[in-house]
Amino acid sequence: MQENGSLKLFKHGPTAEVRLFALAFLALALLVVDARWATLEPVRQGVSVLLYPFQRIMLAPRDGVERVKGWIDAANEMHIEKEAIQRQRIELAQMATHAAQLAAENEQLRRLLNVPDTVTQPSIAVEVLFEPTSAFNHHLVFNKGSSSGIQPGMPVIDEGGVVGQIVRVTPFTSEAALITDDKLSIPVQLLRNGLRLIAFGGGADGKMEVRYLTAGADIQPDDELVTSGIGGLFPAGLSVAQVDSVHRDSATGFAMALASPLAHPERHRHFLVLQVDVEAARRHKEALNGEAGGLR
Amino acid sequence: MARRAKVEVTRRRAGLSSLEPIDTTPFRVAASPGFIWLTVALVWLFSLLPWRVWQPAPDLLLLVIAYWCLNEPGRIGMLTAFSFGLLMDVHDGSLLGVHALTYTLAAYGTLMLSRRLRRFNSVVQCLHMLPVFVIAKSASRLIEGWLAGEWLGWSWLWSAFLMALLWPLVDVLLQMPQRRHEEGDGGAV
Repeated sequence: MQENGSLKLFKHGPTAEVRLFALAFLALALLVVDARWATLEPVRQGVSVLLYPFQRIMLAPRDGVERVKGWIDAANEMHIEKEAIQRQRIELAQMATHAAQLAAENEQLRRLLNVPDTVTQPSIAVEVLFEPTSAFNHHLVFNKGSSSGIQPGMPVIDEGGVVGQIVRVTPFTSEAALITDDKLSIPVQLLRNGLRLIAFGGGADGKMEVRYLTAGADIQPDDELVTSGIGGLFPAGLSVAQVDSVHRDSATGFAMALASPLAHPERHRHFLVLQVDVEAARRHKEALNGEAGGLR
Repeated sequence: MARRAKVEVTRRRAGLSSLEPIDTTPFRVAASPGFIWLTVALVWLFSLLPWRVWQPAPDLLLLVIAYWCLNEPGRIGMLTAFSFGLLMDVHDGSLLGVHALTYTLAAYGTLMLSRRLRRFNSVVQCLHMLPVFVIAKSASRLIEGWLAGEWLGWSWLWSAFLMALLWPLVDVLLQMPQRRHEEGDGGAV
């Protein structure tokens, strides 16, 4: 087959066809195994540790430019920030008195009902390293990984609410799926009436879907969805999304609602990863067998 | 002047030396391995930057690897293509093997067509490379789509078109060091 020209090439090795079949078969095997099972995670982690210094080197100019820009704008930014903080302080002062009343009331009620106090969640601040180029998912890569204590399953939040969930961790980086990713589902609750639902990532258009509603469910546009805390991975009470529209299908008797996320991961570079007890949540989930909760 | 040159030529023709080519330097000098690996490494590093988020962005790494597969098949082959594809898979966080499959297929296609391609200039070569890029990309897109359960449209075709369009430019850029070498030798003769 390989008569001239390339014959010299493969004198000591297998022919081009053999190489092609071996490598293509290997690639296909990797694809199928990686799509179905998690056995290739160590390989991926090893390669990504090798890749990490190169990624940082290539992103260094961008980080440098941003740092210089930060220095130049420092005075101006501080001025703007100061005004914002002043305003916020006044607003917060009002809210704080209100919250103190509520907290006291809440504590009293909890004592009455014999419910244990909510614990504050330890968290890790992370920064976006880059956005991976994949058309099939909405992911972000952060600059901290398992060496900082991040584990797959931990929720990621910003000031607006839930941003996503960590799906993959390497020693120095971690990858989060955004809540608009179609592999993610979050147990939520309507803030208005406490109706428990599950919100799913809606794929491409940056929306979330609330499925499996009965046609008569009390859900309206502008309702706010917050995490319900069911499943154990997402702490209760984080805002998730706001309902845009409700579609009721009288033929099937089911309804579906579209909601826009309240967090804006495209506007920020810093996020918080909440260090929830992933293992406990998993055991809890297994015990409950099939309660809705995060990862796949 | 002209007459003297003519005399010179006729005298040369008469002798045995007329059988020798006037210019004995080879038409194309082989690229140095250092240069080949440097270009591949630089394009790979450049591919780590976030410009590829744009769907129809041309895959410059694949382009350069295919180019060296054609011109220096002894140094860059399918195994190199596969390895760099795997690195890109890990960087993109996509399924392992997506880029590896594309790169391997493109490298094979280039090697298969190399005998034919070397007879043409880069503009005709790019017409040949278009189906290679389209087939290589479509194979991994089909499998990726099958595994993910959805088809993501045809924007990747633009990527293949842009890569084919960029082929002559890559040819000019990557042949530059070898060309300069030729001219230098030509001047000496």
